[in-house]
Amino acid sequence: MADDKASAILAALGGQGNVVEIEPCITRLRCELEDGAKVDEPALKKAGAHGVMQQGTVVQVVVGPEADTIASDIEDLL
Amino acid sequence: MSVQVLSPVTGLVAPISEVPDPVFSQSMVGPGVAVKPSGGESQAVAPVEGILSTLHPHAFVVSTDDGSAVLVHLGIDTIELEGAGFALHATKGERVTAGSPIVTWNPTEVERQGYSSVCPVVALEVGQEALSDMADDGRVNHGDPLFTVDS
Repeated sequence: MADDKASAILAALGGQGNVVEIEPCITRLRCELEDGAKVDEPALKKAGAHGVMQQGTVVQVVVGPEADTIASDIEDLL
Repeated sequence: MSVQVLSPVTGLVAPISEVPDPVFSQSMVGPGVAVKPSGGESQAVAPVEGILSTLHPHAFVVSTDDGSAVLVHLGIDTIELEGAGFALHATKGERVTAGSPIVTWNPTEVERQGYSSVCPVVALEVGQEALSDMADDGRVNHGDPLFTVDS
């Protein structure tokens, strides 16, 4: 279940090839991407994100207090 | 069940809508109250009794026995300080009492480095209606009641 969420978020960020770095910060994933245009915001929301903030290649995905777990699940997929 | 949430820092109570971070100002992860710390080196204390379920130098979550979780974030975007200037007094997973010291930090120094030192105190994953007894805007000491959260 948790892994499904991680893989859905990873896919919505453009897949593993698009992720430069993911860092959890309590309630959000701070993601640095190769190509910010590949972000699929509706898919992130569908995967459970409370909100998405994007500035160019830096995207913050607000996932709530599970951020640390989701980030490590995503790192396992990278 | 309801739990009283204490102010983690000494400072001025402010509406969370004034916090310069949409995650908090738009209550994306839950409702809460902000406290603008009064400067200088000081302690941030546990807002409730429970398990220190998440601990970073700049932020922590205490999970209570009745299932509430309260997030304290020390300043905004302060993850970028990578822990510099934050001294931890507890370890992740430890049981803490309300009012016990968790982190020593320096809000004045945080501001000097260009970050807001405002501290959102958030009841995670509950609705706005779960909060009551909100402290009036004005001065609080760390350990003073800030709000009550129903679980």
